[in-house]
Parts: sequence; C-alpha cells; structure tokens
Amino acid sequence: MKRPVAVVGVGQTQHSARRADVSIPGLVREAVDRALLDAGLEHKDIDAVVIGKAPDQLEGVMQPEQFLVGALGAHLKPMIRVHTAGSVGASTALTAMTHVASGLFDRVLTVAFEKQSEGNAMWALSPTLPFTPPLVAGAGGFFAPYCRAYIKKTGAPPHIGPLTAVSARDNAGRNEYAHLREPISLDDVMNSPFLWEPIRYLETCPSSDGAIALVVASEEAARKGPRQPAWIKSGYSYAEAMWVPGRDQVSPLAGRACAKAVYDKAGITDPWNQIDTAEIYVPFAWFEAMWLENLGFCDVGEGWKIIDRGEQKFGAHLPINPSGGVLASNPIGASGMLRLGEAALQMMGRAGAHQVEGAKTALGHAYGGGAQYFAMWIVGSEA
Amino acid sequence: MNLRNIAVVGFAQAPIVACDEHRTAQEMLYPQVRRALADCRVERSDIDYQVAGSSDYIDGRPFGFVAALDVMGAWPPVQDLHLEMDAAFAAYYAWLRMQAGDCDTAIVCGYGKVSEGDPPRLLNLRLDPYYQAPIGLDGVSTAALQASAYMKRNAVSDGDLATIAANNRAAGARNSDAQLREAVGADQLAKTPWAVAPLRQGYLPPRGESAVCLVLAAEGKAERMCARPAWIQGTDQRAELQSLGARDLARSHGTQLATERALAMAGIARAADLDVIEVSAANPAEELILRNAMDLQSGIGLEPASGPAINPSGGPICGHPLMMTGLIRLGEAFRQIAGCAGEHQVSEARSAIAHATSGHCLQQNLVMVLGAERRWS
Repeated sequence: MKRPVAVVGVGQTQHSARRADVSIPGLVREAVDRALLDAGLEHKDIDAVVIGKAPDQLEGVMQPEQFLVGALGAHLKPMIRVHTAGSVGASTALTAMTHVASGLFDRVLTVAFEKQSEGNAMWALSPTLPFTPPLVAGAGGFFAPYCRAYIKKTGAPPHIGPLTAVSARDNAGRNEYAHLREPISLDDVMNSPFLWEPIRYLETCPSSDGAIALVVASEEAARKGPRQPAWIKSGYSYAEAMWVPGRDQVSPLAGRACAKAVYDKAGITDPWNQIDTAEIYVPFAWFEAMWLENLGFCDVGEGWKIIDRGEQKFGAHLPINPSGGVLASNPIGASGMLRLGEAALQMMGRAGAHQVEGAKTALGHAYGGGAQYFAMWIVGSEA
Repeated sequence: MNLRNIAVVGFAQAPIVACDEHRTAQEMLYPQVRRALADCRVERSDIDYQVAGSSDYIDGRPFGFVAALDVMGAWPPVQDLHLEMDAAFAAYYAWLRMQAGDCDTAIVCGYGKVSEGDPPRLLNLRLDPYYQAPIGLDGVSTAALQASAYMKRNAVSDGDLATIAANNRAAGARNSDAQLREAVGADQLAKTPWAVAPLRQGYLPPRGESAVCLVLAAEGKAERMCARPAWIQGTDQRAELQSLGARDLARSHGTQLATERALAMAGIARAADLDVIEVSAANPAEELILRNAMDLQSGIGLEPASGPAINPSGGPICGHPLMMTGLIRLGEAFRQIAGCAGEHQVSEARSAIAHATSGHCLQQNLVMVLGAERRWS
C-alpha cells in the first residue's frame, strides 16, 4: 500500500431473522449512522462510499445502491458497488481501503448489508451452474460434499462440527448484536436433524437481516479521531476458476494464496503464534476446521484437533469468531464485513463482552462462490 | 498531487449484436480476453489484477459472474474483484488499485446477454421498490421524463433530437463493432413511432449484447505493451439521488462535477479543448444534457462548428449493451488516441473524454480524461 490506512469507526445493526421495523434504506442507515457516530464524523467529512451486498435477487432490487444513495449519504460523491458472492462484505471493505491507500481519498465510508427477509434466500442461493444439473438445495446442499470430503480426507470424528457450533453460540451470547444467542449443548446439536448430511440444523448459519458500516481513513485523519484506530497491516482478495480438474475444494489454492499474501505483507511467519484472534467465515460448522488448515494455522488434517482440544474457544490460545461469527448472524452480504469489522473492533479494544484480552493482531476472513473467492485483512492495535 | 501514469494499452470488443444465439456470455468474453492480451503481446500470467463489471439480473441468475472467472484466466488463483456496475467503473477502480501500489497491470471485463431476459422489466427493478418501481416505470419511460424536462427548459424540438440521432447513425455506419450500421436521415427518424413520447423508436438503440476486455498498464510496462498508449490523465465519478423528483432532470449535476474534477486532475481547462468525447448517451436528449454538463457548447447548437468529435463511434444509440456501454466508451477513446479506430478514426486525435453512467436518467456518472502524453513526471 502506498500509505497506511486505519479503521476509525464501526457500526452494526441488530441482526435478526426479520427486521420488520425498518425498510432496506432504514437498515442501511442504522449501520451508517452508528459508524459515523463511532468515528466522530459527519457525512460531509466522507470523501467516497463503497457498498457491497450479495446477489440482488435476495431482495429483488437490481443495483439497489442506486436507490440507497440517500441512505448512504452518497449524493454527489463517488460510489462503488461490489459483489463477490459470500466474500463481498470483506472485499467491499478492502475496496474502501484501496481508495484511501491510493492517496486520493482521506475518509471513506463502506457499507454492507442484506435484508434476507425481503426475499427467498434458499432460492437465491441455488444458482444454476454451467455443466451442472440444478441442485435447488441452497448453499448447504452445495457445500455439504465439501464437508464430507474433509471428513473423509482427515478422519475427523463426527462431533467436531457440533463442537464448533456450541462454541460459536457460546461466543454469540457475549455479542449484543448477534442474531442467535441462546446457548446450545453438544446433545442439542447432535440431536438436531441433518439438513444436508453431514450438516445438521444447528450446524447451519441462520438467514438474517443486518448491516455493518466502517469508516476507513488515512493515518493523518485517523490520528485526529476520538478513538484508538485499528491499523490495517495488509488486505488482499483472490479468486480461482471453478472448472479446473483436480482443484482442491476443501483447501482451495486461492485461500492459501490470499493468506500468504496478507501474512507476508504483515510480516507474519507463524500465524498460530503471531495472530491473537481471528474472525473467519464459517457458514456451516465444519468449515471452521477446514479454514484453520487453509489459513495455515496448522498442518493439513490438524484443524479438527484444534477444535477437539478447545484451543479455538474464547479465552483459549486462538479465539476464533469471538463474536459468534456467521453461525450466529448471517446477513450474507454483510457477513464478510462483519468479520473484518469485528477483527477491527478487537484491535480498537471495543469488542465489549467478547473482547479478547490483550489482542494486538487479528485476522478477518471471508470466502464466497464455490469456495473460490477469498478476501482477508490483518489488523493491528499499533500503527 | 503526483500520481502514477497509467494507460489503456489494449481493448477487444465483440461486435454488438441483438442476440449471439450460439454462445454464452462467458463464451463471448473468452476470445476478447485472448485477443486483448495478444494485442499487448503478454500472457495472462503477466497481468497482476482483474476486475469485472456485470449484473446478476442481466445474467438471469444469482452469482452469474462467478462463471467468468474461468474465462478471465483465474488459474492459478489471481487477485480479483467484481463490481455490480457498468464495467467502466471497474476500469476506474482498477486505476485506483494500481495507484495504491504493488500492481502494474490489470484486465477489465464486461459481459452480459440481454437477449436472455427482459430488459424493461429488469430496469423497472432498478428503481426503488416502494415508490417508483410499482408505478411501472422502465428505462425508456424514465428517459422520456428526462427528455421532456430538458426539451421544455431548453426549447429543443423533436427535429433537434432527430438530428442528433441521425448524426450518431451516420457515425455508427463507419464503426464495424456497432449494431446499427446504416446511416438514416433525420427526416426518416422523425417519422418513426413514439417509443415513449418525446422519444421515438428511431432515437433509441435496439437491444444489444457484446463482451469486452480492456487492458491497463502502468508506466514502464505500458510502453512495451502498446505503441501508442492512451494515458489516463484525470478521472472522477459522482452518484446522485435516485428519486426522479429529487433532482433536476434537465441537467446532470454529477457529470458536471465529475468533469470539472477530472479536467482539474488532468490540468486541462476545458473539455472543448479535447479531440474526442465518447459519452454514454442512450438517447439524443441525454447527449445534449451531457454536452451541457461538460460545457461543450454555450447554447443548444446541435453540431458545434469546431471542437471535439462527439461519439465518432456512433455512441450507444448505435449499440447499447447494458453493463458494457461505458467500458466501450473508454475503449473507443483508447482506439482514437492509439490510432486504431479504423474507418471512424478522428484524424490526429490526441486527447479524449470517456463517460459512463449507472442507474436511471444519468444518475451516477464517471468521467475519464485520456491523452497521448503522460500526465505526471
């Protein structure tokens, strides 16, 4: 990056199954107002707006950023709309980061949202792919074979997914914004029905309404703000083709390439010991073990053992998803930015009841498409 | 401010057709990617970044753009982004990404097949779902409201619109990538039936589809990839409120602001000093509104006696593939400066503006100033 960039404001909505109290602009505005308030800024201080969301079909509005210009405060400002499937929230935040890094913008507002109650998420997440009969089974139907392949490859025992789900829900209990906060037991998860074997009902993310906004700023602008910023050490987005014979869908090359890029730039050689907490995109419980390996926190086949030993729990060696993560709240378009924003909140020391004590370096991660799109950043508490 | 000199160094476009019956959007795009890279004498592995612009609604399915990863060459994995916007905005962002560092080359792609869907219905869905969409407005009816507002304010007649449309049609006849390649006189166009008054069918483009790939490169590499690169000297973009009642439809405030900022960045006093202007005007009234916003004429004179050539490609009136129209303007600006515009080459063109738009009634506007010379030392 040409110059340092920091997160100076974070605002998110209450996430729930149906935010019937607000319209789409109302939901977006709730996050925008909170982020600006958090940064001690007003709309007039913002140089550009970058917005992201997942497929327009989720709400039934084509290019909804155009009718959201007022809610975003983007009138007569530069605006960019990003869409990179499930990773979009994260790649949107990175797009905002690039705006500031270019030297052309000092303060950029970035927003991601999804109001899934406006449409039918199962339908919108069942795309017809080339050369493939329609599955009509949602994202879970698409990703269940990936999880089965992981289990087969590594010999992971069946309780690993359920353990992950219990830990995520336990964490969400400490996050006032999370959608699902009721505690669940291992038995609850094991006894919940399979939706798409091996994925059970309680190992599945909810369908949520929610939004998040961040303000990213140059070093000079960040130092003028009222709060401790989160310094972005590195941020990259990578993608890979789908129809490549032999492509490793369980541990995709694009995920490894993206992780290497953000680690190299941030000077991280030993992620397991140098990263204090990580917010990673786990829409179905088994993906936590899969990403621990893909992100280089451990060797291949070792990810499930970290979960079995509880080393990823809140208060343990590497707390994963202290916010509860995607398993607790999933407004799809916003979920990636929630990961990056939660990582930033940890560095700002303002994650409240789910603050990881003494955390100085955090990873935010999201993926999308058929595990093809990856977007990540490393944030730190010090410049 | 000292920025990096970045140029458009390659551009390949599928000729615009009503319907390419035998190819998917991705199959239409693949040859353009290969041709653009071959023209630049580079391999895909020489490209640092890729970004695309397309619409899931035009693709008729969610996540439609994912299939383009394969043809853009995302193996082994590449740095990538996708915008749900006209691909010209993707080019703008690629330029920003290159300004931010550690990225010297990029490809920018646009694609989408409107023949597989129902564009009026889609463009209705682009309006706010509470107040405007339920009325049943679509792309043509909103454009007609804007044309009325402009014509009333500026005493422009139906005949004036016909003249503008005829000028574009005459230019389009010289562009082998245009969809409408027959020159038609103003008199004849003025006899065509109303699409939505005051816009006649003869003033509007037919449905068309294409696929486009543009290559950007930074100084040091650009010169090796292209004999006559088109250097980006300034750029800016501005969004406006959507509600048709909330803005003055007779003018494009956003284009005016973006033009002023882009020209200031380029160190150029007036758009009228440039050689070529390619604007995303999908009807004659939009062209007049954009000309005014760029201060290209004092009155409403239809054919400036001197000054820049406006839409020498025939413009969107002769071919308007949604989500690519803006990127094609940028490609046309490149072709003119690189001297490879063929029959529609403007002689000795050394500078140009490319304009792109998003939303209804010129809601969001992007302006890019290009020239044969590097801007920054």
